[in-house]
Amino acid sequence: MRAPDGVSVSGVSKTFAGRGKVVEALHDVSLSCPAGSFTALIGPSGCGKSTLLRIALGLERADAGAVRIAGDAPMDAARAGITGIAFQDAALLPWRSVRRNIAVPLEVLGRPTSRLRADIDAMIALVGLAGFEDALPGELSGGMRQRVAIARALVTRPRVLFMDEPFGALDQILRRQMNVELQRIWAETGATALLVTHGIDEAVFLADRVAVMQARPGRLVEIVDVPFARPRQKSLFTAPEFHRICDEIAGLLHAF
Amino acid sequence: MRSETGHGWANAALLLLVWEIVGRLDLVAGGALPGITEILIRLWQDRGDYPAHIGATLYASGAGLLIGSTIGVGAGVVFALWPTMLRLFRGVNVAAFALPPIALAPILVLTLSGMAPRIALAALGAYFVVMTATVVGLSQADARTIDLIRAYGGGRWQILARVQLRGAVPSILAGLRVGAPNAVLGAILAEFGGGGRWGLGAYLLGSLGRGEPDRLWGIGLVATAIAGAGYLIFAVLASRLVGVTRAVTLNAGLPNTGARVGTGRRMLLGAGAVLMPFLFWWLFVRATGVPDLVAKTPFGVVDYLFLSDTAARAQERLLAALAETLPITFLGMAAGLGFAFVLAIASRLFPRAIEAFMPVALVTQTMPLVALTPLLVLILGRGPSLTLWVTISVTFFPAFVTLAQGLSLVPKSAEELPRAYGASRWRELRMVTIPASLPYLFAATRLTVPRALLGVMIAEWLATGQGLGNLLNQSRGFLDYGMIWSVAAVSVILSVLFYQVVVAVERYTLHRLGMRTAE
Repeated sequence: MRAPDGVSVSGVSKTFAGRGKVVEALHDVSLSCPAGSFTALIGPSGCGKSTLLRIALGLERADAGAVRIAGDAPMDAARAGITGIAFQDAALLPWRSVRRNIAVPLEVLGRPTSRLRADIDAMIALVGLAGFEDALPGELSGGMRQRVAIARALVTRPRVLFMDEPFGALDQILRRQMNVELQRIWAETGATALLVTHGIDEAVFLADRVAVMQARPGRLVEIVDVPFARPRQKSLFTAPEFHRICDEIAGLLHAF
Repeated sequence: MRSETGHGWANAALLLLVWEIVGRLDLVAGGALPGITEILIRLWQDRGDYPAHIGATLYASGAGLLIGSTIGVGAGVVFALWPTMLRLFRGVNVAAFALPPIALAPILVLTLSGMAPRIALAALGAYFVVMTATVVGLSQADARTIDLIRAYGGGRWQILARVQLRGAVPSILAGLRVGAPNAVLGAILAEFGGGGRWGLGAYLLGSLGRGEPDRLWGIGLVATAIAGAGYLIFAVLASRLVGVTRAVTLNAGLPNTGARVGTGRRMLLGAGAVLMPFLFWWLFVRATGVPDLVAKTPFGVVDYLFLSDTAARAQERLLAALAETLPITFLGMAAGLGFAFVLAIASRLFPRAIEAFMPVALVTQTMPLVALTPLLVLILGRGPSLTLWVTISVTFFPAFVTLAQGLSLVPKSAEELPRAYGASRWRELRMVTIPASLPYLFAATRLTVPRALLGVMIAEWLATGQGLGNLLNQSRGFLDYGMIWSVAAVSVILSVLFYQVVVAVERYTLHRLGMRTAE
């Protein structure tokens, strides 16, 4: 049952109480992501997918059940530097340069940033931002900022990578470019990836498996396998088989 | 929402209870803080005195608010339409924001008569916030709506009438909300510094020597209630008209219109901006027709301070006063800002505490400074510690509100990122929250510079008998007109100078750090 480098979610429930209302954000969710796999979590707003991610990051506590990351509790895995995180908005610190923003996780983990400078610069090159090492976030475009966030998530060489709609703020064209790049970067790192997203085509293009969620209460309804070979090309976006799977997921999302 | 308000009421009730117990037991400075019921009983006994005083203060602050906000809205429209004017009037506007009203009160009394000095000072208190709110409101209009009007061939006036003015209403009302208590403070300050029989300021002045804490507190509470009512009226009006009430924001910055001009023109406009306040001063003195002996023009003050026979003596006295006033101003300001900063950061760690504290902070903000000072005299006596505490108390609350509101705008995800990597709360504060608070620290500093000087001068005038405030008060007694005008001019110029220094440091630092100025 226990995947050494994977993520296992077992029987997680979470209820929020507020303003006289009780919201069951997650109801008995179980999901297992094998080491090196790419799983996308998709569902309507309020289906609890972000809550699940926050529990997996140790930012929120589950009422019942547990999340294990490479066999450890979330915070232990985070402190051991196993996890990498990219949030929906890039969440860059405006007063830090690109290089120093990417260094944030290294600093928190107490790794010597000076010695890892070459690593940081390699990561900047990997996301295609060479030459922008000393730029401030305010000088970058939205797409470039998201690349910085991805580089920051990867700089600790995480074995498990969490992404919460990392391209949510980008337009469709840029988003597809970033999807292709993310696949390339992920393939180079070999990490276990969990992507929370609103975009069906993004999920199908990137993931080995798409976990479909529904709201009220937030629960997992189906896991759809995506069999395409890697590396997947941009042309996949127009393939009939690609659209068949997208339609299947769309059907699951509208069915209830 | 409901439970939060309930929480606020419970806190307020608890505070009143503690006050009553502390007061009844004479725990503070031998009875300087009476119990709340003792104050209310005294208020009832004095009820015959109040109507005339309240009437006079209401009249002066109401008329001042009307005049000040009318000019403020008019000037705001002009500045929004012609950004060059905003640059040209920068000196006047900064002076209007930064000048300590107490310094102006005596010269207004010398040049105007009857209620006019009070109305003028009240108007000045309202002008700046309303003007700023108008410019900000007009320039915040939705660019797409403006394009729409323009696409149908509408001109500048069409845009102003159809989009901008309506859209600016919430902002203008927010300005009036802060302007109303300011006008009350201005009126009371003028009553205080200008003599006259009626008005809460005059009442307070008359009761000062009698050592009756319960009466002083009563007057202070009534003054606070009037200022608070002014705030509430516009808050209610705003929620009725617009359906939204935003949190209080104290704007201490001049709006930036972003228009670019060439270097030559910019220098010219800069020089104009510096000269404009002096031109206004000269025109004002000439227009009132008061003889040169009493009303000094800028040339008159230069003559008094540098050219006349008594110049050396005048300089000596002025410099001695400055040497007493300035250190304590900076010390008080630094301490007030420091407390506010530490508490604002701490309130991130204990968010419940801030909820309980905010209402108290808001009430003390509407409390007119002149009413606060005599109360502090009762508690602290007349030494330098009084000056320090007055300054801290007038700088602390606005700084705290600015910082706390600013910190609440720091994106949640920015703070959560280090936490997700296992960072401690302290590390998170150091890495994200404290650096992110820098723009708000500058905004708070801009806001507190003039308040600090005002606080020190009031304390000196009323209680300690030192420094600029005392020099101003003394010169009134000696009919030393040259010195009255010199102190007024020097304190305004110093305020403006400090404000400009803060703005310059802020621009440089934030630009280097890639951060934006907080409004």
